[in-house]
Amino acid sequence: MRVIREMEPLGDWRARALAFEREVGKAVLGQARVIRLITIATFARGHVLLEGDVGVGKTTLLRAVARAIGGAFSRIEGTIDLMPADLVYHAHLGEDGRPRIDPGPLLKQAGDLSIFFFNEINRARPQVHSLLLRLMAERSVAAFNRDYVFPHLQVFADRNRVEREETFELPAAARDRFLMEIEVGMPLGAEDRRRLIFDPRFHDVDALVGTVAEGVLDPAGLEKVARAIQAGIHASPVLEVYTTALWAALRDPAAAGVVVPGVDMARLVAGGASPRGMSYLVRAARVRAWLEGRDMVVPEDLRAVFPEVMAHRIFLDPVYELRRGEIVGELIAQVFARVPAP
Amino acid sequence: MRARWLPCLIAGLLAGPLAAAFPAAPARAQVDTSRDTGTGEEAAPAPAGEAAPAPAAGGGVRAVDLYAPRAFGYVLGDAFSHQVEIALDPAFTLDAAALPRPRAVTYWLELREVRLEDLGRHDGARRYRLHLGYQTFYAPLEPKRLEVPAVMLAATDGTRRVEARVPAWSFLMSPLREVSGAAPGEALRLRPDAGARPVPTGGALAQLAAAGGAGLLALAALAFQMGWWPFRPGASRPFAAAARRVRRRLDASAGEMDSSSTSPHSSSYAAALLELHRAFDASAGRRLLADDLDGFLAARPGLAAAAPEIRRLFAASRLAFFGENIDIAKTCLPAAELGGLARRLARLERRG
Repeated sequence: MRVIREMEPLGDWRARALAFEREVGKAVLGQARVIRLITIATFARGHVLLEGDVGVGKTTLLRAVARAIGGAFSRIEGTIDLMPADLVYHAHLGEDGRPRIDPGPLLKQAGDLSIFFFNEINRARPQVHSLLLRLMAERSVAAFNRDYVFPHLQVFADRNRVEREETFELPAAARDRFLMEIEVGMPLGAEDRRRLIFDPRFHDVDALVGTVAEGVLDPAGLEKVARAIQAGIHASPVLEVYTTALWAALRDPAAAGVVVPGVDMARLVAGGASPRGMSYLVRAARVRAWLEGRDMVVPEDLRAVFPEVMAHRIFLDPVYELRRGEIVGELIAQVFARVPAP
Repeated sequence: MRARWLPCLIAGLLAGPLAAAFPAAPARAQVDTSRDTGTGEEAAPAPAGEAAPAPAAGGGVRAVDLYAPRAFGYVLGDAFSHQVEIALDPAFTLDAAALPRPRAVTYWLELREVRLEDLGRHDGARRYRLHLGYQTFYAPLEPKRLEVPAVMLAATDGTRRVEARVPAWSFLMSPLREVSGAAPGEALRLRPDAGARPVPTGGALAQLAAAGGAGLLALAALAFQMGWWPFRPGASRPFAAAARRVRRRLDASAGEMDSSSTSPHSSSYAAALLELHRAFDASAGRRLLADDLDGFLAARPGLAAAAPEIRRLFAASRLAFFGENIDIAKTCLPAAELGGLARRLARLERRG
């Protein structure tokens, strides 16, 4: 009963969340899981890094998401010569011929900015990354001798894994501040693939994104909804024990009896899986439970968001870093296969 | 005296070889069957193959042929058998009640076996074959002729009753040893009884061992199947072990309920749920969550029969552990049903 009462302010927000998923799904085929994860991140007020091959629709997806969420939207392309000042300031010559400094892409909309979309983030320099670090962690930047605050800001970034030349790996601290790193794969369904190739609707991205209803969610209200979800969805002591056991197994897989074939478990995990990561995990799990219509978190919620929330926070021994993708996936699967639930 | 003796002696000496040489050629004595003609003494030991015509006097009995073995070379304890072929008029039947009974005929002769074969009607006569088995216990001091007395049989056609006589038969018995005067030799000493010939038990023993082994194997297989001692229903039969532990938990909780509040009961209910979860984990080879049930049941069609109960179990467990509402969980799956489900799962698991 207690739970139900606290849930009441959420009202029809769950229906709106599902409508949001439907709207985005109109523009992006065969990515239901990615859309669900983005919805979770949105209601958990977390930043998202998309990762995937070129041309799988990362940018389309993010444009559709931005349109469906609504609110002010700003976008920048990562390049090797992009400097932090380019994000904050816009330097140009005025009509009178004198140089002028105006607010850049970040500051233009000031406090209303709800979505900041950073394309090809790994092409930007570390200086830019460190600016992002503060922007994501504190939702503020310092410019023009004062702090700009962005209370509703959600950062989406993407990067492709194919090229490594002229790219800068994101520092661990920056990656830790993303709630999720979502892998965008190829659409698996044959019908989806066929439609993506032949249906002209999917050829014109602008028109396609235009079909998505605008502002299904209200960015100003999201913060309150997110707080209500976190307060209203219940995590039992048993689940707390389970989550801590998962964490322990991830930090020390050898002790938990987790085995990944061909890997020395004693030296596999060098560190990571930070407490912030675990708290993000529970945050995301609560949102998933709410989206599934439950008032309690169950292990399935943790499992559903675990790879996206935790994988990029696990630091492996350098020997295994090159095979990271397969090893971390297997490690997480094994952790869930070993840790008893409930 | 001496002249009468000699052939008997020779006959006694030849008895063994002759008996071996003509075992299948019994002396045949065809005798007169009418009651009032002749005595057996003169007529009986007719030479083999000689058939006296049988006058069909009195009607009824046509012929009684005695086929006897050799008439000499018998010693104490020998057994011999007579075969009597009887031909009656078709209307007559032999009266089985009038057959001699196995008995001691005289103090030295024992009739051991009487067996009548009905050969049915053919050649216009009703025929029988009678087997008579004798054993002699006479101990002669010198070769001596003895007589097996005649046997009277009766035949009837319903109104008349006629008698058929199997003639007497005489034979020669010989002593086993000298009478006296000979030096006490080794041969005359009472020799120890021959050891009993061991009954060949090897085959029976082997069969017993095989049957016993097969029985033990079957018992072991049954014990393995049912998870009895010494087979722990371990990795291969997680539900069998879980059913046992769930029962123990629930029994313990039934005991606690009288003495204390409901909380220990609740905790043992939770413990029973946990036992079943561990069994599902072991069966799946990984930790099984409620959302994985579809795949799990698809992979184990044997358990699918209990699918609705399994789903209720997971729902109840979710309520109990993550909803912290064990009372609602119990309304979803009462403790009694929990025990029943555990047993049912163990049974389904056994069936495979």
